[in-house]
Amino acid sequence: MATVTLKALEKSYGETQVLTGIDLSIADGEYLVLVGPSGCGKSTLLRCIAGLESITSGTLSIGDRLMNDVAPQHRNIAMVFQSYALYPHMTVRRNLGFPLEIRKAPADEIQSAVEKVAEMLELGDLLDRFPGQLSGGQRQRVAMGRAMVREPSVFLFDEPLSNLDAALRGHMRAELKRLHRRLKTTFVHVTHDQVEALTLADRILVLNEGVVQQLGTPRELFDEPANTFVAGFIGSPSMNLMDRGDHWLGVRPTDVELGSGPERARVDLIESLGAEALVHLELNGSAFLAVVPEPVELESGQEINLGFRKVHRFNRETGLRQ
Amino acid sequence: MTFVRVLLLAIAAYLLQSSPVLANEETVRLWHAYRGDEEAALSSAAEEYFQETGIKIQLTATPFGAFEKKLETAIPRGNGPDLFIAAHGNLGKWQDLELMSAVQAQSEQHPLALQALNDNGVQWGHPLALKTLLLFSDPELVESPPETTDALISQATRLTSEGTYGLVYQAGTPFFHAPWMHGFGAESIGPSGADLNSIEHERAYAFTQRLAHDLGIMPKRPTAQLLSQLYNDGRAAFVISGPWFLSEIDRPIRASRLPVISENGQAAKPFLSVEAIFVADGARRPQEAEAFATWLSGAEGAQIRQDTGLQAVTALNVSPSDHPIIRAVLDQSEHAVPLPTDPDISNVWRAQEKAMEALVSGGASAKRTAENAAYFHSIYSRKAPQPAGAAPYWLLMCGVLGTAIWWVRKRWKDTELRKRLSSHRGDYLWVLPAGLAMVVLVALPFAMGAAVSLYAHQGGEWTFVGLSHFWEILSASETGFTSPMSFWYTLTVTLLWTITNLILHVSIGVGLALLLREPWIRMRGLWRALLILPWAIPNYITALIWKTMFHVQYGAVNALLGFGGEPADIDWFSSFSTAFSANLITNTWLGFPFMMVVTLGALQAIPRELEEAAEVDGAGWWTRFRMVIWPLLKPALMPAIILGSVWTFNMFNVIYLVSNGGPMGSTEILISDAYQWAFSGGNYYGYAAAYAVLIFGVLLIYSRFANRLAGRRVL
Repeated sequence: MATVTLKALEKSYGETQVLTGIDLSIADGEYLVLVGPSGCGKSTLLRCIAGLESITSGTLSIGDRLMNDVAPQHRNIAMVFQSYALYPHMTVRRNLGFPLEIRKAPADEIQSAVEKVAEMLELGDLLDRFPGQLSGGQRQRVAMGRAMVREPSVFLFDEPLSNLDAALRGHMRAELKRLHRRLKTTFVHVTHDQVEALTLADRILVLNEGVVQQLGTPRELFDEPANTFVAGFIGSPSMNLMDRGDHWLGVRPTDVELGSGPERARVDLIESLGAEALVHLELNGSAFLAVVPEPVELESGQEINLGFRKVHRFNRETGLRQ
Repeated sequence: MTFVRVLLLAIAAYLLQSSPVLANEETVRLWHAYRGDEEAALSSAAEEYFQETGIKIQLTATPFGAFEKKLETAIPRGNGPDLFIAAHGNLGKWQDLELMSAVQAQSEQHPLALQALNDNGVQWGHPLALKTLLLFSDPELVESPPETTDALISQATRLTSEGTYGLVYQAGTPFFHAPWMHGFGAESIGPSGADLNSIEHERAYAFTQRLAHDLGIMPKRPTAQLLSQLYNDGRAAFVISGPWFLSEIDRPIRASRLPVISENGQAAKPFLSVEAIFVADGARRPQEAEAFATWLSGAEGAQIRQDTGLQAVTALNVSPSDHPIIRAVLDQSEHAVPLPTDPDISNVWRAQEKAMEALVSGGASAKRTAENAAYFHSIYSRKAPQPAGAAPYWLLMCGVLGTAIWWVRKRWKDTELRKRLSSHRGDYLWVLPAGLAMVVLVALPFAMGAAVSLYAHQGGEWTFVGLSHFWEILSASETGFTSPMSFWYTLTVTLLWTITNLILHVSIGVGLALLLREPWIRMRGLWRALLILPWAIPNYITALIWKTMFHVQYGAVNALLGFGGEPADIDWFSSFSTAFSANLITNTWLGFPFMMVVTLGALQAIPRELEEAAEVDGAGWWTRFRMVIWPLLKPALMPAIILGSVWTFNMFNVIYLVSNGGPMGSTEILISDAYQWAFSGGNYYGYAAAYAVLIFGVLLIYSRFANRLAGRRVL
């Protein structure tokens, strides 16, 4: 178990700057999720922590130890890859025991460790199969098992759930949460899925174009987004942003009250989701979205009044929260 | 369309022109190995003869090294010329092979020449010229030619300096060793046959070793090209060579008799060969051919050859020449030994040449060389196995055939199988062309080769000997198990050769492929192309280049090993370990790109993430390679390794062209050894075929084993 500390970390490939001035301190046992759109540098940041990418400048420490020039195999970390990266020529048993095998652990120690992990992840019946004979979810569990088997100080997950179907993803998300609770180890998890981020994280780091946009608890990010990017990125459906001359006015669709209030809009379209409905409106010539509980008794083309329970103000030039 | 028409016309014209029927209407075809002045003289003689008689002589020049072989293979198959010009030394062998027809003896010829071409009263050719070795000297370096060997040595020693040599000649070949051999009183074939292990031979070998090695007055391993190159550069004071040497040089030269041997006061006596024109057996125009031969040998032809070709002609009715070279040849021929015509002479020469490989590099003493020569000769000249009765073999064949028929009949009763076979009747047509090609190109030659192994071939005669060759080879009865001449020794070398090669090919190939994947490598495409290049160049060219690079004095390898200073002094072809290494390095150069290409392909299929996962799991690079990359490469590499091992096992070109099996046959592999038995000297076709069958057997066993190794059928 350990803290992970990044100070002014930069990464570039030749002329291309990928990560800029990352300062981050991950507490021991914390579950940190890195989110951002594709190409924002979140996977690169994770690979820098793993040691699979070198750091151009700045420092990276795990615990008290400076790790800039330490090879991955000496960082005492474990990583679960998006593709799972299971060794296709080894059985599940050997895949799970591999990290111990290369450390030349005694055979009986490997066996008991593998069995313990297998039991925890319900892999007991699959131990003698090859990865090619497993389903996606089973492979995912093997990949997690391989990471767990030697009790590393930090777990790194690179989009571990993105190759699973929706149902399984939900299930595994919960499993991950339970696992974290049981292991009490530092987890760093990369995803582009904000639901994953919001449900799993103790804290979330939002990245865009290699720059940290905001670091905070899911609540903080949702309630007080630091800028328009975070405001648009976190929360589903995204926040409505309205041009109000000297500033941007942000309203979450769930913070809209229909039927009363100072604003006047025209109903464009209604999508019912069962318990609630998405109401597409036209407000001052721009699209505007509201989420309201069913039943909704409105018709397309109808003009209505609306009000906002909570608003966010952002600087017109910088996009920062005011 | 026009292009196609022109092409067809060109092909038709070529066929008409080269068609034997048409070409032979008016011409007599003559093969020779002349160069320079001699070739010019022959051309003008042919031209003059055409003016006189209207008969055209078509001249075909063939490099000297390939000439004999060409005659021996072309004439018996009816593809030979009408006439050919050659030295008389092969008379005995060629009589056995029936390469020539008897001719009408002419008078007015040097009696020695007539005698050399006469066998039991039959005249076999028309003599043209006398040839012997001479001592050439550079008039700019040498004031007067030496009378004795001591004088030669002292002058040569004085004239030897950095890059300049006192004496240059091909000391390692029996023909060039002959003057000393005869001078010391030894002979290659005496009245009672070859006696190659005598005190006289030892003395002669010791003398040759002194000249070629101990005194340091000669370049190491001089080739014919080096000889002329050194002389033309003014870096050779004395050269021992024949009159043909003149055609290769462009500087003043003086010819004189070889010196008297100081130890015993005897003259050094080179071989005297009588160059003659022979009427080939099966000549299409024998009468015209003999008429031209008589003319060329007689006064008119001789005059042209003497004047233009500077030949020491044998015809007595020409005006004597006072050209110094011709005078020197005539002078030396007074102190020369006519080339023996005994068919055994080729065995003697082969044996001596093989034994002398180690002598001139200082690797064997004179005594040892004499013993080796006698040993090699005993093997080359051994009697063919006793003729065997064919009856047991017929019985065996009948047995095998009977069993096969019984088996087929038994299987035929299986209706299920029959139905399966007949239900695909149409499909057999599809495989028929390939099947036929396999039968014609693989099965038939193999069956014929296997049949040849049951026969002994000696002097053009085939005798059925059954399995005697196999017994002889496997029991090593003639050679002893540990001799480099034995099958078992060669098999061991072949296995060592194959294994060491494969280890190097695979490790270098895989290593480079892994390196080429590294992100910090710039210009990857260029590197990849460069590294594949050795594979793309025909391997015999590469082998010849490497052979030159391994030359002890002029080779790039020794220069590189000197690391900028004095070049290393490794005589690569003087011992087994160095010669084997030279072969190995050459073949590794040729072999690693294939493994690299296969590995590069296979690596594409291994996701980078697997390695990264292993890296994070705690594996260093060696563990990652051993436990992750190698097991995943293996399925793709295994077929390549098996293929590579068969190629290497049979890599004839490298062995033949780089070390040529030397020294003394120690680096021969099975396939090159089989070639030596069949085609250098003895023509032991049956023995060589038995070798080939055994090679097949070894590879068959290996392929069974390899299949198991690969875990699936790949061969």
